Amino acid sequence: MGLDYTIFIDYGPKILEGFRLTLIIVICAIFLGLPMGVLLAIGRMSSKLYFRGPSVVVLEVIRNTPFMIQIFLLYYVLPFYGVRLPAMLVGILALALFSSVYYAEIIRAGIAAVPRGQSESARAIGMSHSQSLRNVVFPQMWSIVLPPIANQTLSSVKESSILATITVSEMTMSALAVQGITFRPFEVFIMITLLYWLLNESIAFGVRHLEKYLQTRRGHRATTERTAVEVESSLEAARRMTR
Amino acid sequence: MKFDFSYTVDAFPRLLEGAMITVQVAFLSFVLSLILGTVLTVLRSFKIKPINIVIAIYISFIRGTPVLIQIFLAYYVLPVVGIDLSAFAAGILAVTLNSAAFMTEILRGGLASVPKSQLEAAHSLGLRTWIIWLKIVLPQAFIASIPPLVNEFTLVVKTTPLLAMITVVELMRVSQQIFSSNYHPVEILIGAFSIYFVICFVISRASVVIEQRFSMRRA
Amino acid sequence: MNAGHATISIRGIEKSFGEITALRGVDLDVGRGEVVCVIGPSGCGKSTLLRVINWLQPPDAGRVYIDGEQVGETVDANGKVRSRPEREINAVRARVGMLFQDFNVWSNMSALENVVRPQVVVLQRTRVEAEAIALTLLERVGLADQVNQWPDSLSGGQLQRVAIARALAMDPIVMLLDEPTSSLDPELVGEVLAVLQELATGGMTMIVVTHELGFAKNVANRIIFMDEGRIVEDGPPEQILRAPKTERLKQFLDMLVHV
Repeated sequence: MGLDYTIFIDYGPKILEGFRLTLIIVICAIFLGLPMGVLLAIGRMSSKLYFRGPSVVVLEVIRNTPFMIQIFLLYYVLPFYGVRLPAMLVGILALALFSSVYYAEIIRAGIAAVPRGQSESARAIGMSHSQSLRNVVFPQMWSIVLPPIANQTLSSVKESSILATITVSEMTMSALAVQGITFRPFEVFIMITLLYWLLNESIAFGVRHLEKYLQTRRGHRATTERTAVEVESSLEAARRMTR
Repeated sequence: MKFDFSYTVDAFPRLLEGAMITVQVAFLSFVLSLILGTVLTVLRSFKIKPINIVIAIYISFIRGTPVLIQIFLAYYVLPVVGIDLSAFAAGILAVTLNSAAFMTEILRGGLASVPKSQLEAAHSLGLRTWIIWLKIVLPQAFIASIPPLVNEFTLVVKTTPLLAMITVVELMRVSQQIFSSNYHPVEILIGAFSIYFVICFVISRASVVIEQRFSMRRA
Repeated sequence: MNAGHATISIRGIEKSFGEITALRGVDLDVGRGEVVCVIGPSGCGKSTLLRVINWLQPPDAGRVYIDGEQVGETVDANGKVRSRPEREINAVRARVGMLFQDFNVWSNMSALENVVRPQVVVLQRTRVEAEAIALTLLERVGLADQVNQWPDSLSGGQLQRVAIARALAMDPIVMLLDEPTSSLDPELVGEVLAVLQELATGGMTMIVVTHELGFAKNVANRIIFMDEGRIVEDGPPEQILRAPKTERLKQFLDMLVHV
């Protein structure tokens, strides 16, 4: 049984269109999910129950249910509240929500990794808790959490394939469509498998370079050797929660 | 309220049947993946270059591509090369291979935490290699890995709904079947959602208890 | 309140962390412009005492007064004790300068910005005003050439001096110093002590936790010896260092000499 190369030529553009949509979806989900993750992290750490409660509920619910059913629920529930969005936007929303939970874990670890003395001296000089977060803790936290967050995008790329289940025309969906026309699953799926793998390796490559760049940037050396080890272990725990 | 939860209640018996399939698939895949992962971990420790390269490619592939694609490959592409599997078998195969890749990494970490002194002591006592593995190293590696292993099980459970896409009649597919005939997707999905939540939540809380029990036995 | 001339009064301070009791009933009075050095074995509660004074760690019992005003809590008409709002506590902390053993200079901004930012954020000064003050202070502590350097390229002694400039920029009425030179290489200790001595002679009320007995002897009006959460001896440097009254202090001084 031979390889039908014409499939790649005739339907390649359709698959690449799906690839393009996958990229758009993932990027939108990151920009939406990161602020949500920050909110969840802050809410989780808050001393006030009416902030902490909802945050904990959202975190536990999203973490303990499959992404696919979250997508479906969101897709079917929104119209009841008058919100009629195209499938792609629902998909982006769902992916953002799902990712925000993992961002929140990473951010929590990042905040804990900022040396205690930094926020202590900020409080000692008269800053409020939120002022100390804004001026001292968060700026230091970002350079710590950037690599794990970039890593998380790898998961987002893979989770985006699940949006095909609500017929969003990203790469997996376009593959299914082409397969339905040509009845040549081999060529079609091999093609998108390679594309996903390529995308994954490119992002991983980028993250490795990001990590190296951040090491050399000024201000980063402030994290002592001991703290660097603690950062690694808590971020490792956060990383393990995702695929 | 716009939602009529009597639909949820009525659907529950069928949903629970689907949940049983979900748990069976998850459990079976998990156990198979644990075995495969253990074999690969032991193989890797022998440091034979060609084997390690193959394993590395396998892990890179699994981690670099979506699970859904892997499931489609097992169900749609394998028949093209002559391996015709039922939906159930293809699903188990895909989920097992997927989980085993992560399992190998988890066990590698657990293995690394076993103190080298244990191996040395065992060798000096004259015990044979495979006995050392079976009785001393592997048990400790597993116990050290309990939290990430339990986490992996919940990940497997959360992967099972994707099998609905290749017609495996687990909880997700049952839900789809029900609401495509009664047109109340939200009520049905909330029922399925709750079941998934309870399963995963209970497992992750149980992991804390399991970990404590095992560390007490060791002490 | 005049800069540097406040009094500090502490009554009956108790503080525990779970099983460990850090402070067991501490009373202390520090007069205007007085420099009090606190010495004692590690773990005796010295650092905790400082953190209680600026309410970074509220005590389990007892009261703190800075210039007659109670810190952290108020006693209302019925004699009930209530916590003061965060806003007021932050305002008190802004006037209490604190130095740390690990300097705690903020690593995400330059030396100059370290001194400017709290003035703008906490004291609501304009940036122009804050920068002028910052530059003057950084020059005063000998860092005129380092104002635009970032913390990761400054030495320990330079970092501590940035911290001093930062604290002074807030016009403190009192300064609490927690082992300001303990993390410094010996060559760098002198430059920091020189600046601190200058502050003392300028009339700043200071409580300094330190191991530098030379500094204590030359600059302190009083030395306090603490052990196991209590003040054991309190007196002028000559008395404490040359004629210790208690056995514990004698042992402690012997130990220091032999190290």
